[in-house]
Formats: sequence, C-alpha cells, structure tokens
Amino acid sequence: MDAAAQIIFGGLFQGSLYAVMAVGLALIWTTIGVFNFSHGVLMMLGAYVAWQLTALAIPFSVVVPLTMILMAGVGWLLQASVVRPLIGRPNIVLVVVITTLAAASLIENGTLEVWGPRSKQIPALVDGNAMLLGVGVSLHQITIIFITPFILLALWLFLNRTRTGLALRAVAQNEDSALLVGLNVKMLYGLAFAISAALAALAGIFLGGYRFMSPVMGADPLLKALIVVVFGGLSSINGPIFAAYLIGFFEAVCSYYFGLYWTPALLFAVLIITLMVRPEGIFSGKSRGLA
Amino acid sequence: MSTTLEIRDLTAGYGRIDILHRISLTIGNFGNVGLFGPNGHGKTTLLRTISGLINPREGSIRFNDIEIAGLSPRAIVEHGLIHVSQGNRLFPDLTIGECLTLGAYPKRARADEEANRDAVIKIFPKLAERWRQKVRTLSGGERQMVSIGTALMSSPRMLILDEPTLGLAPKIKEELCASVLGISERGVPLVVVEQDVEFLLELSKHLYLINHGEVATEIQPGQSLDHSEIMSLYFGQ
Repeated sequence: MDAAAQIIFGGLFQGSLYAVMAVGLALIWTTIGVFNFSHGVLMMLGAYVAWQLTALAIPFSVVVPLTMILMAGVGWLLQASVVRPLIGRPNIVLVVVITTLAAASLIENGTLEVWGPRSKQIPALVDGNAMLLGVGVSLHQITIIFITPFILLALWLFLNRTRTGLALRAVAQNEDSALLVGLNVKMLYGLAFAISAALAALAGIFLGGYRFMSPVMGADPLLKALIVVVFGGLSSINGPIFAAYLIGFFEAVCSYYFGLYWTPALLFAVLIITLMVRPEGIFSGKSRGLA
Repeated sequence: MSTTLEIRDLTAGYGRIDILHRISLTIGNFGNVGLFGPNGHGKTTLLRTISGLINPREGSIRFNDIEIAGLSPRAIVEHGLIHVSQGNRLFPDLTIGECLTLGAYPKRARADEEANRDAVIKIFPKLAERWRQKVRTLSGGERQMVSIGTALMSSPRMLILDEPTLGLAPKIKEELCASVLGISERGVPLVVVEQDVEFLLELSKHLYLINHGEVATEIQPGQSLDHSEIMSLYFGQ
C-alpha cells in the first residue's frame, strides 16, 4: 500500500511537471517546426524572476502571474532575436538548435552573474504537509498535481476552440497557405514562444518551490521534456501530455524498485527504444519529419 | 463598379533572376480572365507577385485603384484579393471544417462566416460529408475543393486560381470545372491559369497568352480563336 501510494504520488507529480515543460516545447515544434534548446533555461529564469519579485515583497499571488507575463515577453524577444531572422533558411532546424543553445548559455551565465551561485528557494504555492494513504506529502506538490490538468485543459481549449489557436496549429503546416489566408505569421511565431516561455516559467515556479534553485536547474527538466516529446510524438500537444504522465510513472516505478542511480539510464533506454521502434512517437499518427 | 486589377510594367523574379519582364495586363473590364501559356514562362510567378508572396522589383499593381504592389500577403487578403496557389497541399493536419474556418480569418470576412460556409457546402456538397476528415487523407480533387472553398470563406472580391485542375482525372476535372463556372456565376470575378484552353474559353472571353514573362497575345471578347491558332501560339508557326 505504501509503495503503491508512493509510486502513484511520485508519478503524478513528476508527470505534471514534465507535462507543463513538454507542452511548451511541443507548441514551438508544432507552430514553427524548430526545437527550442533554451526551454530549460527559460524555466530557470522564470524561477529566478519569481524569486526576485518575492524578494521585492510582492505578494506571491501576484508574483506567479507577473512572472509568467514577464517571461512571455522574454520568450517573444528570444524568438525575435535568435529564431525569426533564420526563418526561410533551408537548414533552419539545425541552425536554431545552435542559436537556442547559444542563447541558453548566455542566459545561464547571465543569471550566474546577476544572482550569484548561492542556492535559493521560492515560497511554496501552499505551505504545509499532509499524510495521504500513509505517505507524507507537501501541499505544494499536491497543489501542482491538481492545477496542472486545468492548465493543460486551458491550453488545449485555446488551441482547439479559438480562432487564434487554430491559426497557431495551421501556421507551421504550410507557410504559403498560411500567408494566403491572411495569417500574421510573425505574430503567431512570437505568440508560440511567449506561451511556451510562460509555461516554462510556471514549471520553474513549481520546481523552485520545493527544491533549491541554481542557474543549471533547467538542464535536467529539459532533458526529461525531450524524452517526453520523443516518446509521445509531436504531431499535436495531446501526445506529449499523455507521454509526460507515463514517463512520470515510469520514473516513479524505476526510482522505487531500482533506485535513483539507475533511473536516468532506464529513461534513456526508453528514449532509444522509442527512436528505434517508433521514431514518430507512440501517440503520433505520422511523422512530421525533421525537414 | 466592376472589380479591376491593373498591372503595369511589372518586373519580378527569384533571387537575381527576373521571370517577369515589364509585364502589363488589365483584368476585370470584361469579366473573368484566363491566363495560359507554356510552363515555366511566369504565370505562377505573376500570381505570386500579385498576392504579395514575391516582392515586385518594379512596376505597379492596382486593385480597384488602390496600389497593392509591395504590400504583405495579409494586407492584400484584407483587400479581398484571394489566391488559391498551384498544387495546394493546404494544411495537411487540419480537418476540412477547420480549413474553412481558417479561411474566414481575414477581418472583413468574419461577419459573413456562416453565410459563406453555407455557400461553400452548396457548391461542394462532398465536403460536408467529410467535414471531420484531415486534409492529408483527401484525394487531389477533394483537396482542390477544400482549397477553393477556403478561399471562398475569405469573401473574395476577386479570386485567383492557379491551375485548379492540375493532375486531376478527367471525370473529376469536369466536376470541378462545373463548380468553378458556378462560382463565377455567383458574381465573383475569376482569374484562372489553366493549360486547358477549352475550359478557359468556357469561363472567359478575355484571355492572355503569357510567354517569356511577357504578354504574347491578348484575346478580347469578340475575337474568336480556334484550335489551330492556339497551337500556333504555343508552338510557333
């Protein structure tokens, strides 16, 4: 009972975190067709911005939305500086890997310069602990498990039920056709990055609320999000959402039975097997192709 | 007032290569216009320049007496000049219904979204049966119907069709030609590029033969044209 509760709880929690990270990555992939390697750093920066705002004595209920808005702006700027100028080049996928990695390095070192190497922590979303099914859990983690589905649902509704969401899904599929139905392609690219960065910032707040923050804290979640999107496929955002929870549970099971030491290796085994057996991802119909 | 598109001394191309050489034509004085001519002589380039996908190097394009040369495709769509491009793949992962909704994206078309959708279903009843099917799963003819339907959702003042029957089986081609004639009868002026001159003649009495990036011949209403003349226009005397 104890083990099951621990695995269920761990799986839900990790799954929530990975889902929030992975949908941001998937959103950029499905709208612009590039992979954003600065996603993890955006998450880290979100946590630091939230820490800074908290330090300015702004109430935490204001800090969370304000951080997301500020980070949406950062996402927009990032897109305008290292992605938009390259659009239309034949090797854009590869070039954007390099430019976003470069941006990640700059932001990471910039954060180290500005805020220093000392570990920090931001307040929990909800303070306190509870006993659930014989397992001690923090209310912060419980809150994350409960609000994540609503955030994902909101994003899904936005993409599938609104005109702008429809335009976002269409724009990457055929740029000529997108222009010819009068879509504002530049605005949509900026919007995709802004939403993605805001979600990354939220993940940063989630993570910074129960772990110590450091300028390199984004690397591991980015890696996990990468495993999630490869595993789930990138044809829509639904694949990564389901995949995030599956990977979350897989990680929870692995860390319970095999220990933390073996878990990353097992996760990468999943990644490699997926790429060998079903490179388009398990929830994906057909591969969008990397071209 | 009839809708007119006046192109004067237009030069455009890709990279350093000019495809169009100071081409001039007037569209709309005699209703629909048909463009024909050998492949690789600038018909598609002309249409892509008109709709803003290519920036013209020189010259003017006036749509209803408003200069649109050099405007963004989005601004040109908002003027009501809608272009259905050649061999359109459209949006492979959207459903037919979603494509049509997207066609109503231009601000000036939003108020008429419902009426336009009903009109499109009347013209292409087949689309209603496959409403939730993804575009990538459709046949070439059906995809062309969705492309034209999507354009109609944008409340076009003038509709440009680039080889709508390209690669279609004869029977499907006939159906599509009938639908295009139907659209023309609803009062939307058409600019159609086609290799099938018979179809163009059914649609329009005003034709241009485009050759080497220029207008080689203009055929105005009243001037008749028989098969051997077309052959000689294409292949020389």
